[in-house]
Amino acid sequence: MIDPDSLTDDDFRKLGFHAGLEVHHQLQSRRKLFCNCEPVLEEDPHNFDYSFHRYFRPVLGEMGDFDEGMLIEYEKGYKVIYYANERNTCTYEMDETPPFMPDMETITKGFILAFYFDCKAFAEEVVVNRKQYLDGSITTGFQRTFIIARDGYVPLQNGKKVRISNLHVEEDAARRVNWFDTSERTVYYNLDRLGVPLAEIITDHLDVDTPSELIETALQIGRVLRISKIGRRGIGAVRQDVNISITGGDRVELKGVQDIHMFDKYCRREVVRQHSLIEIQKEMLERGLKKEDFEHTYIDISHLFALPPKKKVFATIFPKMKGLFGKEIQPGKDFGIDIFEKSMLITGIPTDYHFHSDEFDENSVRKRNNNYSRIPINEELYQKIQTLLNTKDSDAFVVVQGSEKACMHALKKIIERVKLALDGVPQETRRVTPDGNSEFLRVIHGKDRIYPDTDTPPILIDLEKLEEWKKEVGIKPWELLEELSKRYNFTQNQVDLLIRDDKLELFSEFTDELELDGALAYTLLIEKPREFRRKHMPLTNEVIKRCARLLSKGIIHREQLNTVLEFLQENPDSTEETIKEHFSTQYNEKELEDLIKKELENLSFEDVNNKNMAFQLVLPNLVARIIGKTNNCVSGGKIAKMIENFLEVK
Amino acid sequence: MNDKQTDYEPPEGYRGELLERLVKDKIRTWAEIRITKGEAKYEGILLPRSLNTDDRYVTLKVDTGYNLGVFVDDDTKIEEIGYKKGKYKLPSVDAEFKEDLPNVTLLGTGGTVASRLDYRTGAVIPAFTPEELFSAVPELIPLVNLTPKTLYQILSENFQPQFWVKTAESIAKEIESGADGVIIGHGTDTMAFTGSALSYFLRNLPIPVVIVGSQRSSDRPSSDGPKNILYSARLAGYENFAEVVVCMHGGTSDSYNLIHRATRVRKMHSSRRDAFRTIGDIPLGKVDEKEITWFRDDIKPRGPREDFYLDAKIDDKVGMLYFYPGMKPDLLESMVDLGYHGVVIIGTGLAHVGTDMYTALERCQEEEIPVVMTVEPLFGYTHLRVYETGREMLARGVIEGANMLPSAAYAKLIWALGHTRDINEVKKIIQTPVAGEITPKEGPRGYLLMQGIERGIDEFLKHL
Ligand SMILES: [Zn+2]
Repeated sequence: MIDPDSLTDDDFRKLGFHAGLEVHHQLQSRRKLFCNCEPVLEEDPHNFDYSFHRYFRPVLGEMGDFDEGMLIEYEKGYKVIYYANERNTCTYEMDETPPFMPDMETITKGFILAFYFDCKAFAEEVVVNRKQYLDGSITTGFQRTFIIARDGYVPLQNGKKVRISNLHVEEDAARRVNWFDTSERTVYYNLDRLGVPLAEIITDHLDVDTPSELIETALQIGRVLRISKIGRRGIGAVRQDVNISITGGDRVELKGVQDIHMFDKYCRREVVRQHSLIEIQKEMLERGLKKEDFEHTYIDISHLFALPPKKKVFATIFPKMKGLFGKEIQPGKDFGIDIFEKSMLITGIPTDYHFHSDEFDENSVRKRNNNYSRIPINEELYQKIQTLLNTKDSDAFVVVQGSEKACMHALKKIIERVKLALDGVPQETRRVTPDGNSEFLRVIHGKDRIYPDTDTPPILIDLEKLEEWKKEVGIKPWELLEELSKRYNFTQNQVDLLIRDDKLELFSEFTDELELDGALAYTLLIEKPREFRRKHMPLTNEVIKRCARLLSKGIIHREQLNTVLEFLQENPDSTEETIKEHFSTQYNEKELEDLIKKELENLSFEDVNNKNMAFQLVLPNLVARIIGKTNNCVSGGKIAKMIENFLEVK
Repeated sequence: MNDKQTDYEPPEGYRGELLERLVKDKIRTWAEIRITKGEAKYEGILLPRSLNTDDRYVTLKVDTGYNLGVFVDDDTKIEEIGYKKGKYKLPSVDAEFKEDLPNVTLLGTGGTVASRLDYRTGAVIPAFTPEELFSAVPELIPLVNLTPKTLYQILSENFQPQFWVKTAESIAKEIESGADGVIIGHGTDTMAFTGSALSYFLRNLPIPVVIVGSQRSSDRPSSDGPKNILYSARLAGYENFAEVVVCMHGGTSDSYNLIHRATRVRKMHSSRRDAFRTIGDIPLGKVDEKEITWFRDDIKPRGPREDFYLDAKIDDKVGMLYFYPGMKPDLLESMVDLGYHGVVIIGTGLAHVGTDMYTALERCQEEEIPVVMTVEPLFGYTHLRVYETGREMLARGVIEGANMLPSAAYAKLIWALGHTRDINEVKKIIQTPVAGEITPKEGPRGYLLMQGIERGIDEFLKHL
């Protein structure tokens, strides 16, 4: 296995790394997309007012085919239990009433968003589609989703344009709760999130070829959602699916990544996984293996074990596969476990109750990671199983423990998966695990699971409206960066903070109308609020705006910022007059000179030998005193300079 | 290109100028097309267009499987670049006849178990072959020998009384050929009407007749249809009862179905799975994954086939009026003028109509047109002796329908008039309970409409 952390950008390019994003960003809205419920989430999704349960079945796609992924979903045999609260759900979320007309405000936002990405082809008639999901995350069994536009892009700093192939608006799915154990056949969801509007922004999988480009793409998209104020903020408002492939591998989708900072790790580990799978494929071909070599023969070896009631143990031989199940394909995880995770998800037998013959090796990945199978196979049993299965030295075998039905199902899935290994990397949707690895979630969904929604008639989009919406598009994040870096030398990070803190309007008001310089406006809008928050004195926009006006009118000086902000916080009713009295900065040269003269006159060096040294000692104090007298409106440097000049003249 | 010339069919659902233009370029539905409009390019499959939509747009299925519409103007370029026709068919599954399984016939009258999209209307139409059925609900295969037959493929609002007759005749045929039970697949809207009619038509019914449908159409993964049909098959194949019943979800969960006597059931919600409720009584029974529980002891058991006969004489010149404040007698009078033979009136409260209606009632009385009263509250009996109004109405010859539901009364009047137009005979038939449409009494469980504020309801809601 390649060390994932050793990969450089060059290595990624050499391996033919490609990645695309599906960014799911919740949209600001007053209601849910297809009903009138308020889009608010429960603080604790385990709380509920009512609960019910359902089962799901696959249905045909529009072109008359069952989606392969859907059939596998159905095999999982989930019972789905829903938790729901009355304040954010209704019979729509319960799938007990047809959809209401979609929220036009949200659809409008979708179009405006599409203009931000310079989309070329618009849905001039929006057609609501159904996208099947049988995992229970949507009570209808399909997500209502529609294309807003296609063929847009986001630019990267290296000049590349990452294409946006599709921009969809859709309803969010329910929130999974109680997800402790993938082998569990009952799944739980809270319905609060179901129906919250989402934008799905899909980038072209071919356009990104290093993890850093992928991260930048995600950041750019996030900036658009923020700067446009179309995206909802807060935890869980953005989830992205990352599609990754390398040359010789295939598209694998990592589902529901919330933290962009983890992208790099996920990319590395997926590249390593695909690379390892390709090596396994090569090795299998070299050993002359063919799909027909793997027979669906399951041997009952229950008699070798003392088992709980209704449990059985079955084994299957994998000819010429010795050493391959034990091959590490992601740090701490071997090929066998990767397969067992899939079997667990579909059949419900935990990975612990799967065993492969390679883990018996002294230095096996499973042993090194303390991840033993719980099927108690010792040296003696191992021999016995080998005899029963009639294995040769080059063969491997797999053992599973569970109900008879589940065992057969699991071995069937494992054999099918091993056959697929001859084709290399299977297209899968995978769930990332906290260690940065990933496990099978489902077969990648095809287009056969899309079906037009007969409940909602198509919505005509007035072409004039489209023109109107185009005008609502403000400055784009990349244009803003260019402008601010040119004018004020701002960095991307500074611009991001202005966007993130939602201070862009104020920034341009301060710089353009109040004519503050960029650095000062930035200090006032970004740095000071942070400083004050740390002091537990959060600043309101109102105080900041007043301060900016005072600066602009010259009533106060930038050196006075802290004291003025504190004063304004404590005296919200203070008038400009009182502030002027308090902080007046109208010290002209003459006044300042007089002030300094007076202070100097108060000094007495009569008794001192080295007058110059004595003066140097008191100078800082003197300057501070004068600054204080000017209410912080003259800089210390200037005062010191004036004192020196004054003394020289004297 | 040659067969393109000969096989060319104009694109379905397109109209007006756009159609002319597509025809001129010989562009077909299901063809892959490319549309160019300035900077915008769209590629995808040209789909048939639904009726009642704007005729200047085309519907396109793009590479991701999504559909969208594109406005076509003079500057829009459309070209065909390929062709792929969709074949909408559930994979067929062979189900062998097994000697030891009960024989159940499923008579389809409208989409229940499998259905597909109708591009003309954008709505869903039934697909209904045995193969499709078994492929959609494979659990049926080991349960019963199920023979699906299609009687109609119509929406239940398009049912006519003569369709009830044909349905009853088909059931009779199945009974004669030895079926152990019959399932009627039916649209849910008028299920109770058909059920009531069948309850009167099928005399000395020897086997179960189970009417079933789905509140979520079967083109949806969350459809209640599969569970409904499975439970119905169990009832029809194995249970010892011989009545016409409706078997639909009892709650919003896929946990249990209720078994309702067809004459006492009513659709009480426009869309919920558990819309069907027995009115004025408790349901006959309940069926879930594990067992079937019967709640009553007046359920008619299976009987000898020899005693069975069909009595499906009808007269469908019957109408139904829903009395409302301000109703003028002209409505009822015009029914007389139009030659109606009988009228069911849904009256307020105990079954009253306003005094304005008396003249029309008198007219009916003179012409010997039976007027059957039912109650607008749905629950409870007609009581026309309590108030003056009621007594005035009785004096004008109205027939009290007791606690018959409007649907049950309507079907019954049609059936009664099929046998006699003698007003006294009709009255006798109407007021004699035939299939549970009138119950001798109503107990405390007959009326349990919860209001959501009852003690214990919070706990109840946590386990729907
Ligand atoms: Zn709602």
